[in-house]
Amino acid sequence: MTRILPKNKLDDCIAAWQKAGYSVLAPVQRHDMSSFDEVQKASDMALDLILTERTIKDHFFPQTEPLIKYKISKHDIDSETMTPPDKKRIFFGVRPCDASGLAIDDPLFGWDYKDDYWFRRRNNSVIVTIACAEADDFCMCTSVKLSPDSTKGADVMLRPLASGNGWQIEAVSERGTALLDTVSPLLQESSDQAAPVPQVAEKFDVEKVMEWLADPANFESQFWKDISMRCIGCGSCTFLCPTCHCFDIQDEGDTYQGIRRKNWDSCSFALFTMHTSGHNPRNAQSTRWRQRIMHKFNYYQGKFGVNSCSGCGRCTRQCPVDMGITETLQAITNLPR
Amino acid sequence: MGIQEQYRSEAAALLSSGEVKLVIGFGPGSTADRRRPLFARTPEEAEKLVLDPACISNLTTYLVAGGLLSDGKKVAIFLKPDGIRSLNILVSECQVKPEQVVIFGYAIENNEIRPLSGRSIGDFAEIGSKIRTATPPPAVQKEAERLEAMSPAERFEFWKEQFSKCIKCYACRQACPMCYCRRCIVDVNQPQWVSTSSHTLGNFEWNLVRAFHLAGRCAACGACDRACPVNIPLRLINYRMGKEVKEAFDYHAGESSDQKPVLASFSQDDPETFIL
Ligand code: SF4
Ligand code: SF4
Ligand code: SF4
Ligand code: SF4
Repeated sequence: MTRILPKNKLDDCIAAWQKAGYSVLAPVQRHDMSSFDEVQKASDMALDLILTERTIKDHFFPQTEPLIKYKISKHDIDSETMTPPDKKRIFFGVRPCDASGLAIDDPLFGWDYKDDYWFRRRNNSVIVTIACAEADDFCMCTSVKLSPDSTKGADVMLRPLASGNGWQIEAVSERGTALLDTVSPLLQESSDQAAPVPQVAEKFDVEKVMEWLADPANFESQFWKDISMRCIGCGSCTFLCPTCHCFDIQDEGDTYQGIRRKNWDSCSFALFTMHTSGHNPRNAQSTRWRQRIMHKFNYYQGKFGVNSCSGCGRCTRQCPVDMGITETLQAITNLPR
Repeated sequence: MGIQEQYRSEAAALLSSGEVKLVIGFGPGSTADRRRPLFARTPEEAEKLVLDPACISNLTTYLVAGGLLSDGKKVAIFLKPDGIRSLNILVSECQVKPEQVVIFGYAIENNEIRPLSGRSIGDFAEIGSKIRTATPPPAVQKEAERLEAMSPAERFEFWKEQFSKCIKCYACRQACPMCYCRRCIVDVNQPQWVSTSSHTLGNFEWNLVRAFHLAGRCAACGACDRACPVNIPLRLINYRMGKEVKEAFDYHAGESSDQKPVLASFSQDDPETFIL
C-alpha cells in the first residue's frame, strides 16, 4: 500500500494549500507559450506537457531583478535595497530535470557569497516533482546520470498511476513532509500501480566527454570550430536552460536616480566578454560555444563536483539551427581516442 | 537524377574546381523531420547535402555573418524564393556582392521540391517581380485582420501580453539576415542607449526598435518568428510594417537587387503626409 493523491482531490488540495498561505504554481499554456505560473484550480494546469518551454528557474532567478533603488543629491546618496516578496510558494508538477536544475545551481549561488535573492526564493518554495510518463527525442536526463523519476531537488515526489486517476505521493524532504501534513485528509492508501517510467536512451558517454574536455590539448582543437559553425549566437539555449545562471549588473535611470538590476546574460553573446578597450578574448562563436560546454562539463564539475546540466534537452529542442549540446557531446564521445 | 543529387554533384564540382570556397546548404537534423544548416568545404562533404520539403530555413543569414565574404571568394548557397528575396535586399543595401554568390534555387510546392533555374541573382528577376502581387500566407492574413479589427486599446493589450514573454535573447535578430549590423543598437553600451532589462518596457523598446529597423527591409522569410523561443508572433509585426511601407511608398522589399532602400532614399514623389 502506498499513499496516493487522487486526481479528483487536486482542487481540494490547491484550496487547502492556498488556505495555508501558499501560492500554487504549475505548468500552464498561456499566450502561446508554456511556463510555470500561478493557478487556482486543477483545470488551469497543463500537466500533460512533457516539459514546459520556460523553466522554473525564471521564478528563482528572474530575467530581470531590481536590487537597489538609488537617489543621488548634491551631498549624499540614498539607497534602498529591494528584496523579492517573501511569499510561500508551491511548484506543482515540476519535471525531475527542472527540479534537479535548482539543486545544481544551489552551490553556485551560495559559494563565495550567499545570493539572498536566490535563497529567499528557494527557502519559501516547495517543489512537487511529477515523474515523467513520456519523453521525447530530445530528453537526455539519463545521459547526465539522472532519470525520469529522479527525486533530486524535489520536496515531494509524485508518480503517475497507471490508471491515470492520480499519483503515488511521497515526501522526500522535511519541507515535503510538512507540506503533506497540510493535506493528509485528502490522501488515500491504495495498492494502485504506478505507470512505467519511460525509457530514455543514453545519448552520449558523459565520462568520456569529461575526460576529453579535461585534456588541455583539446582546448584549441579544430573540433570546436567545426561543430559550432552554424551557431548564430542567439543565446536562447542559455536563457531556456534550467541551470544557466550568468547575469549582468546594470544601472537603469538618469544621473540622479535609478535602479540597479541583475539581468540575464549569456556566454553565447559576443558582448559577454567584450572589454572596454574593444578587445574580446572570446572573439568567435566557436570560443563561446566551447565556453558553454567547458563550463557545464568541466569547470562546474571542478568547482562544485556536479555537471551543470540536468538533461532537459531544451537547448536542442528549441535551437533555431538544430544545435544544442547533445550533438556536441555525442560527437566528443565518438571522437577517435 | 533527382534535384538533390543534381545539386549535390554540381556543388561537389564547384568545390573541387575551387570556384567556390564553401557551399551552404542543408543536412540531416537531429530528428527525422528536422534539417540543419550544413557547410560543405570539400566535395565529400557536399555528398551529405539534403534537399527536401523540410529545408525551410533562410540561409542568407550566414552570408553576412562573421565576415564570410570579406576575402572576396565565392560561396554557393541553397535558397528558396524568400531567400532570394533577402539576397536582393542584401545586395541592394551593398552588403553582398552578387558575383560572390552562386545560387542553388528551389521552391517547395505541395510538399515537393522544384528546382529554380539560374545560378546568379540576376537570373531570378521573375521571383522578384511576383512579390508585388503575392498574397501573404492565409494564416498571417487572418491573424493580421483579427488584430486590425481590434481597438487600439485591445491591440495594445495583445502586444503587451506577447512582449511580456520576451526574454531578450535576441534570437529574432540573430536569425534575421537583415540584422547584419556589426553592433546592434541594443548592444551599444557606452552609453547603454537601450536598457538591457527584460521588463515590459524594455521588451517594448527592443521590439519597437526591431520593427522600425526592418520596415521596408523584411523578406517575410519568417526566420525571426521561428527562432523566437517564447513564440511571439513576430511575423505579424513584419507584415504590418511591410504594409505601411507599401501603402506609403508603393515599395516592396526585395523586388530586385538594384532597387533603392526605401527609407534611405528620397524621391520627389514621396508622400509628405507626416509634415503638418
Ligand atoms: S546553439 Fe542554437 S540556441 Fe544556442 S546560441 Fe547557438 S544558435 Fe542559439
Ligand atoms: S545544457 Fe541543455 S540539456 Fe542541459 S540543462 Fe541546459 S538546456 Fe537542459
Ligand atoms: S535591430 Fe536594428 S540595429 Fe539591431 S541588428 Fe537589426 S537592424 Fe541593426
Ligand atoms: S526571439 Fe523572442 S524572446 Fe528573443 S528577443 Fe526576440 S522577441 Fe524576445
